[in-house]
Amino acid sequence: MPTITIDGEDYEVDGEQNLLATCLSLGINLPYFCWHPAMGSVGACRQCAVIEYKDTEDQHGKLVMGCMTPVKDGGLYSVIADAAREFRGGIIEDLMTNHPHDCPVCEEGGECHLQDMTEMTGHVQRRYRGSKRTHRNQYLGPFINHEMNRCIACYRCTRFYRDYAGGSDLESLGRNNQIYFGRQKDGMLENGFSGNLVEVCPTGVFTDKTFSQHYVRKWDLQTAPSICEHCAVGCNTAPGAREPGNGGRAILRRVTNLYHRDINGYFLCDRGRFGYDYVNSDHRLENVLAARGDRLIESTARSGEKIHRILPPADAVGRFAQTLAAAQLGRRRLIGIASPRSSLENNFALRQLVGGANFFCGLARRDLELLHLVDRVQRDPRIHSPTTPEIESADAVLILGEDIDNTAPRIALAVRQAARNRQKQRARDLKIPLWQDASVRQLDGNPSPVLLIGTGTPALEEIASEILHCTADQTASFATAVVGFLRRDEPEQTELPESLRELARRAAERLSAAQRPLIVSGCGNRSVDIVNGAAAVACALAECEQGDREQCDLYLACPEVNSLGIAQLFPPGGGQLEQLAGQLRAGDGDTPTTLVILENDLYRRCDRRTVDTLLAGADEVILLDTLLNTTARHADLVFPAAATAESEGSYINSSGIAQRFYAVYEGAGFIQESWRWLANAAAACEEYPGNDVLAGCQHVHELSAALAGKFPALGVLAGLGPDEHYRIDGLKVARQSHRYSGRTAIRARDHVAELPPHRDPDAPMVFSMEGIQNAARTTLQANIWSPGWNSNQSIQKFLQGVGGRRKGAQGSRRIERAAQPLEDWHPQNTKAAATFSAATDLVLVPLHRMFGSDELSARAAAIASVIDEPYAVISAGDAEQRQIQHGDLLQIRIDSEHYAVEARISATLPRGTVGVPAGLPGLESLDCHLPGPAAVERIHGGESP
Amino acid sequence: MNSFSETEVLSEIKAVEVMEQSNTPPGNTDTELSEEEKREIDSEFSRYEDRASVGLEALRIVQKHRGWVSDESLQAVSDYLEIPPAQLESVATYFQLIFRQPVGREVMLLCKSASCWIMGCSRLQVHIRNRLQIAPGQTSEDGIFTLLETPCLGDCDKAPVMLVGEQVHHNITEKSIDKWIEQKIIQHKTTDADQLPD
Repeated sequence: MPTITIDGEDYEVDGEQNLLATCLSLGINLPYFCWHPAMGSVGACRQCAVIEYKDTEDQHGKLVMGCMTPVKDGGLYSVIADAAREFRGGIIEDLMTNHPHDCPVCEEGGECHLQDMTEMTGHVQRRYRGSKRTHRNQYLGPFINHEMNRCIACYRCTRFYRDYAGGSDLESLGRNNQIYFGRQKDGMLENGFSGNLVEVCPTGVFTDKTFSQHYVRKWDLQTAPSICEHCAVGCNTAPGAREPGNGGRAILRRVTNLYHRDINGYFLCDRGRFGYDYVNSDHRLENVLAARGDRLIESTARSGEKIHRILPPADAVGRFAQTLAAAQLGRRRLIGIASPRSSLENNFALRQLVGGANFFCGLARRDLELLHLVDRVQRDPRIHSPTTPEIESADAVLILGEDIDNTAPRIALAVRQAARNRQKQRARDLKIPLWQDASVRQLDGNPSPVLLIGTGTPALEEIASEILHCTADQTASFATAVVGFLRRDEPEQTELPESLRELARRAAERLSAAQRPLIVSGCGNRSVDIVNGAAAVACALAECEQGDREQCDLYLACPEVNSLGIAQLFPPGGGQLEQLAGQLRAGDGDTPTTLVILENDLYRRCDRRTVDTLLAGADEVILLDTLLNTTARHADLVFPAAATAESEGSYINSSGIAQRFYAVYEGAGFIQESWRWLANAAAACEEYPGNDVLAGCQHVHELSAALAGKFPALGVLAGLGPDEHYRIDGLKVARQSHRYSGRTAIRARDHVAELPPHRDPDAPMVFSMEGIQNAARTTLQANIWSPGWNSNQSIQKFLQGVGGRRKGAQGSRRIERAAQPLEDWHPQNTKAAATFSAATDLVLVPLHRMFGSDELSARAAAIASVIDEPYAVISAGDAEQRQIQHGDLLQIRIDSEHYAVEARISATLPRGTVGVPAGLPGLESLDCHLPGPAAVERIHGGESP
Repeated sequence: MNSFSETEVLSEIKAVEVMEQSNTPPGNTDTELSEEEKREIDSEFSRYEDRASVGLEALRIVQKHRGWVSDESLQAVSDYLEIPPAQLESVATYFQLIFRQPVGREVMLLCKSASCWIMGCSRLQVHIRNRLQIAPGQTSEDGIFTLLETPCLGDCDKAPVMLVGEQVHHNITEKSIDKWIEQKIIQHKTTDADQLPD
């Protein structure tokens, strides 16, 4: 390791980094704008100037830009030399000639990198007295504000948006003093990672428009580490909440990225960033609701839907306790339905309440089977579930039948970086440091092989070396052929035509030649064969003679935030909803049945008939949930459950990493975590065994510990994150910044006394500013702030070096599942159900959408405003045959349900299939039929509305 | 007629707003490229590595035929080259001689660099402004003249200079400008009259 001297101090440093990154890793404050830890250097802003000396004799040295200077052994540098300081101050003065002094009305104010850097350089006097150049702003959609006058032309936005995330509609326009960063014309930014501009921009050009709706300064936000609940990647987030000015209950105001080296790094997708607003939506449940006995005549409600009234929580808990008592005495059967979008602890509490035999998973059979398959695959010792940096370092990628840009967007962003590895290798050969971003990007050479097979992944097609659009069956056959070529035995007979066999042979060659091949697949197509195929390819690669690897990277995207967690709670082969419906239909003598449903809209899981049977078969339906959904309308008793940002618990992501999240604030009204409602009922029930963990449960950690004891694979939960007794120097970690304002004033309307700080008995954190605020001490601090660094750029103070892990104990751990090799897989040619009528029917296949497919984020106001009306994509061939034009109204018929959708024609969709956006509002109940046959007909012009 | 002083003009030197687009686009704003435009663009492909690199030439060709590059023309080029319109706009707005709004038939590029400034280009700009009632970036009412500023044209020994089309006017004075303006007015009026149907 080279040793360098900075201002008389000797340091041993990482020679791979540039001087700026080295200084920051050492904790030396050096101002910068255009450099970004994930994007490297371009030397555009000239802000990180330092003095480099030739030798100890050299008294003057020369100015160099830190971000463009490789560190060399024995190098002598000065950050604090007058010449360097003066130069850096001069750069700020230049930038300020055009930057408006609008900090008081700028939403970046208080977390502005430009403010921080201006302070840091010490520049205070502006000499320029002329007028400033002004720009017209653009409408960039419902997520991002645009205020171009504040731009300092660091080019970070286009470097992120275009170069890093592959967006094509944001560019630098104009020149000289008139540089403009925007779109060709007004319109929504098309890239699914546009929200990161808010954090990437060092000043207030791009700000969060959803945050504007309920804006407060960063220092007034209360934060805690949380996990994004909108897909299974498990990105770490720092939601911010604060009570409104009238002193009401806190509301969730925004979500920002929270660095986690192995998962999301510095970036989030737009679903994760803007989906939070569902907790503030009109659909939010804040009170306990009970069904009224009377029926309203001429109600618009569908059959089975109930009219509810608000019930005092104590009464509702009492009623629940009576049910529980009856169940304990054997006079009532209590059945629990779990949820893959709720924490392990909530699910476990329900399991305790109803008992393992009465605990069902809340998923349809094929969804649960698929999850168990994913779990089984990941247990194979030849398979490694890669972290995001490992995905980024792959040098050949095979994506099998998974539109990861929509099912696991952050992973798609990582794959996009992997495509550059051949270019990076060439840079290494030429001895160009990888942080020299512009130089590396200019190098010739093909991108690393990325093969897209199966479902279209439009966002990645531009970086793909081979693209094959085919059905799920063909994708599985393709995988089989690849396995055959990898094993060097003649591929088993497949239905593949010669051209595809050739493609499979090339795929096998490229993958086996790679240093670090990566297979990506998932549950998106609901195809067991695709997941099996992907696993077989990965296993074959691990056993391949070429390369000395023992494991192969396989990323399998799961559908929901805790899908893999749920899979751990149920042994394979049971627990699905169909089984429960069957049991209820068969009846169980005269014993009445109560269904307790945890955070689950069953109408999205199974077809209407099954769910209707299920609910009708129960004498009482109790639901705990966050939003008013179809299942809630059928429930007799509805308890308002806390959303992720309002609760503490653990999720397991697609890679099998268990992560703990903490309550950012307490939910409004009577909202509380689901397990608390269950524990309340258990405590109120005299018949419920007092020695049960749930009966006396006070803190969520007790449930985590019990879970860890019960399920060996989940043993890591016991040590996952500190419990409520955790202290640093005798204090808990503060959720509020020490500049949190108006804590007396905000309640002055009701009370002028200063109330004691709001206590939190459950977490290692407090709901106040009295506590630890130290970047280096704990990963529990989500308020990314450090003295002198008010913007999110202060994250480097929290890391073990640039791009390293967080300082302090890690809040995430991989679950420890017993290793078990997979059996050899042979694809079965199971054709679609016999009801398929070739004349009228087509096979509906799911299309996943970043906005709309996820149940919760679809209720966030900004996201709801960009979700498409129901549509279906039909292949050009089928469209021609059926005389369907783009924009025609189609009718999809399944069982007795009808759906009217707009037709879209696709040149790439395989013939015989119709793509239906999964879970899109209006088509939610269609989701469970995907993939599956359905009659698709054109509704003739005259009949269309 | 409005009259402007030199200081007023100097304080207004803010150049043309880059994103400004005209509300009244005259001329050819077809959303499709003509066969001739396509042929000329095609002939450029052999000289560049990829289609995207032809962007600037394609814009120049379209401007040659249409006088300026309207939003529609930009979109047409973007469709033809299969590159995002934003990328093409980035090129179009970078190069000063790609016009994204309608210009007159004579585009006067008055040098405003140091030598020309010493030799009185600001005074000349005021003169033009008073003579034609146009500020930099504007087009005269008769649609003949557009005044633009340009950085150094490399003829400092003959300052002040002005570039019109492919012709550089050296050592220009109020008098020589007036003379040239008169000539051009007569020339364009005659051509217009000739083209009128009998």
